[in-house]
Amino acid sequence: MARGSSLLAYALTRAILALPMLFILLTAVFVVLRILPGDPILALWGGRTPPPDAVERARVQLGLDQPPIVQYFTYLRNIFTGNLGISIGEQYRGTPVWSQIATRFPATVELAIGGMLVASLVGIPLGVVAGANRDRWVDLGVRLYGTVIWVIPIFWLGLILQLVFGVWLRWLPANGRWTGVDTPCAPPSTCRFQTGMYTVDSLIEGNLGHFATAVSHLLLPSLTLGLVLSGFFAKTVRANMLRTIGADFTEAARARGVPRRAIIYRHAFKNALVPVVTVLGLQFAILFAGAVLTEKTFSYQGLGILLLESITSKDMTMIQGVVVFYAAIIVLISLAIDILGASIDPRIRL
Amino acid sequence: MWIVIVAILIVAIIGISTYAVLSARVPTKVGIELWYNNDGHYGDTETALALTLQNSIQSCGRVTVSLKSDPWAVYKQNWANQRMPMFLLGWYPDYFDSDDYASPFLSIAGAKSLGSFYNNSQVDQWITEEQSTTDPNIRTDRFTKIQNALADDVPYIPLFSGVAQTAYVNSVQNVELHPVVFKWFIVDKPGATVLNVSTSDKVISLDPASAYDFFSGEIINQVFDTLVVYDWKNATLKPGLAQDIPTRANGLVSADGMNYTYHLKAGVTFHDFPLNTPLTAQIVANSINRAIRLDLPGSAAFLLYDVGALGRDATNGNNSSPGAIEVVNSSTITFHLARPVSFFNDLMAFSVSAPVPDSYNQAGEQPSTAGSVIGTGPYKMTTHTPNQLIVLDRAFGTKASNTYYNKDLYSPTLGPIPIMDRIVINIRASAAALKQDIETKAVDVVFRTLSPPDLVDLQNRASSLGITVKLGSSPQIRYLVFNVNKVPNKLVRQAIAFSVDRSAISQIVFLGTASPLYSMIPAEMPYSTAVFQSKYGDARCADANNLLAQVPATIELIALARDR
Repeated sequence: MARGSSLLAYALTRAILALPMLFILLTAVFVVLRILPGDPILALWGGRTPPPDAVERARVQLGLDQPPIVQYFTYLRNIFTGNLGISIGEQYRGTPVWSQIATRFPATVELAIGGMLVASLVGIPLGVVAGANRDRWVDLGVRLYGTVIWVIPIFWLGLILQLVFGVWLRWLPANGRWTGVDTPCAPPSTCRFQTGMYTVDSLIEGNLGHFATAVSHLLLPSLTLGLVLSGFFAKTVRANMLRTIGADFTEAARARGVPRRAIIYRHAFKNALVPVVTVLGLQFAILFAGAVLTEKTFSYQGLGILLLESITSKDMTMIQGVVVFYAAIIVLISLAIDILGASIDPRIRL
Repeated sequence: MWIVIVAILIVAIIGISTYAVLSARVPTKVGIELWYNNDGHYGDTETALALTLQNSIQSCGRVTVSLKSDPWAVYKQNWANQRMPMFLLGWYPDYFDSDDYASPFLSIAGAKSLGSFYNNSQVDQWITEEQSTTDPNIRTDRFTKIQNALADDVPYIPLFSGVAQTAYVNSVQNVELHPVVFKWFIVDKPGATVLNVSTSDKVISLDPASAYDFFSGEIINQVFDTLVVYDWKNATLKPGLAQDIPTRANGLVSADGMNYTYHLKAGVTFHDFPLNTPLTAQIVANSINRAIRLDLPGSAAFLLYDVGALGRDATNGNNSSPGAIEVVNSSTITFHLARPVSFFNDLMAFSVSAPVPDSYNQAGEQPSTAGSVIGTGPYKMTTHTPNQLIVLDRAFGTKASNTYYNKDLYSPTLGPIPIMDRIVINIRASAAALKQDIETKAVDVVFRTLSPPDLVDLQNRASSLGITVKLGSSPQIRYLVFNVNKVPNKLVRQAIAFSVDRSAISQIVFLGTASPLYSMIPAEMPYSTAVFQSKYGDARCADANNLLAQVPATIELIALARDR
């Protein structure tokens, strides 16, 4: 009971601490968007002179005629009531920001999960092997890999993978999220519910052909995003492995005659993973940022491309909505990771 | 005494030194900013273009060019707000008449909206005169005068015209790089019913009252029809929804050129199944009034009420001027223009004139979603995933029993249109993706735009890849704009015109795939005269510096101070 209460108190404290962070972020987004050059209303008319009353009408409609402080509180009220506004950019003009985010978010989630899977499947084993073989050639190789892959520009790696697997070998599609028109769960096929993630929807639909298509389109973007992150994972796991391999409890196990393999994988590795889980959560922010470039490189229509398009068309409400949404997601993930970390390692709560 | 002598000597030395400094012909430099777009509105070559221009102007030695850039949304406002003294722009014609390369730039109103603020009432008069007549002699004379004024005053420097380009697998036929609009409904892939294509363009709006960009217009032209349409290979007009092209000869244009009458073809319906709303003259009038009344931001409505002289009148509910559009009967409509407009038929072929059903949103823009985009054209849009996918399906009947009213438009040269049952347009985020698409044959056709290195590479490997790379002349032009209020000295503008090196632009930036442009009216258009070639040529630094030597030092200093 006491243990449970302590975790709850910790979770509540973290949640309360997350609020000022979110508040500062919302304020920063509001201020930055208003000091950027260019008028979002005039941008719609291009170089042409708009009709005399049209600009004023549009300003009133969007509340831009109000003093900044009034605009700020209206903005906060709208955000906290879930109203992200209506797009004013030339591409999505008139459509609710929320509906565009809802359409694009599943693609980015799919990509982020794929990237995280690749990063974990490649980075963690490499880190363990390197940590267990300190200063041997395999360790040097992993360290070199970790450094090189981490500093490679993500779009460059994407282009190379496209060239090799998409163009030369033609094993995987080089662009897009889907080939053809019949996306998973699209009529005439029926699904009990639809997530917008093609891999999941094709499984709900029970169509393995669709699943293979969805995975084939997801592989290269996920590899790009995941490989870059795997370098960081490998180095983090290696560092933690070195720490746990040298710890008292592994020394004790060794003294008791526990085989080296069991010491490494059963004792050292498990304990090395705890800080990795915390780091993993923080990497989601990097993952989302990387997703912007990956989506652009692979014409993968997710939230990242939506953000890029909104910035270029000076779609203030859309930029605001997407950034706030990203921020909220990252804050939530950080919170979840904090709580997960605390439940795994009670010392964190102390 | 000595003090007086020393004072006189000091004054003399100061005087002599000042004279020496002022009289010495030390060449001072004119500083000017060159602005360009930095977020790909004109493709990936814009930075290279700006750098090449900077280099060619600076290499003459007397002008310092500092580069500045902004994303398109800000750039568009910069020229209206007069922030940019010299900047790069491009133009794609709205209607296929030489006027569309003159009036938008050189008329007082047009120059203001395009940021040069050129103001020459004599040129304005010549433009009005060429617009009002179809007499080739008068038009030749006026266009010659207009182009000479352009070369003399240099509010713009024409740089190059683009190259239209497409690549497709060898089994595909009838891929025509049309000078105005690309026609998917004539493309054929024998033995197949579906054509897969990809593009890096994006849809802005599929409402004819709002669309004013190339790709939106391209899709609209597959889904909607206009009163008159273009031939499949060139810009010759052919009857679309109208039975005939109005001319003075057939009596459908009045003798004064101010009244245009169109008789609609019978049996035309919208593809709003199952309603199948029939097209009437009233619907045509309502559609044009809707575009004028809404005058949506960034739309081409001004082509109707301003260029097309139909007016926009608040007393008439912001519709066209009272009496400007007359519905004679259910199949006849007459436009009464405020002044003669010799290219009014071309305006009726532009997407803004496409009839839409009365069910369209009368208070604002119609959504661009599948099911909301309703026209009378050969295709209907059945899927639209923004920035990802557009699917066009045959709108009327089947290939075997084609019920499209204008199916024999291009017969007997081409078969009944549309030829393919379905066009699947994949929208890509980059030009590199288009190259990969056609290299791997993930699609049948890529259109547009490949980057110059990719284009050259595909040309070199076309036979081994089994593809065709097709190049054609593009009506798009690129040019430099001077804000004449910020660079008021004509000699400075003329000197920069002397120093521009078009062959460097073509070779360095476009790997030889762009054609030099020596007038705002491209060489392919009637009445074009290469005035900049005869007057300024390319990279003539000596002439540029001779002109700059005549620029008074005070003006140079003012220019420098302002530009700093």
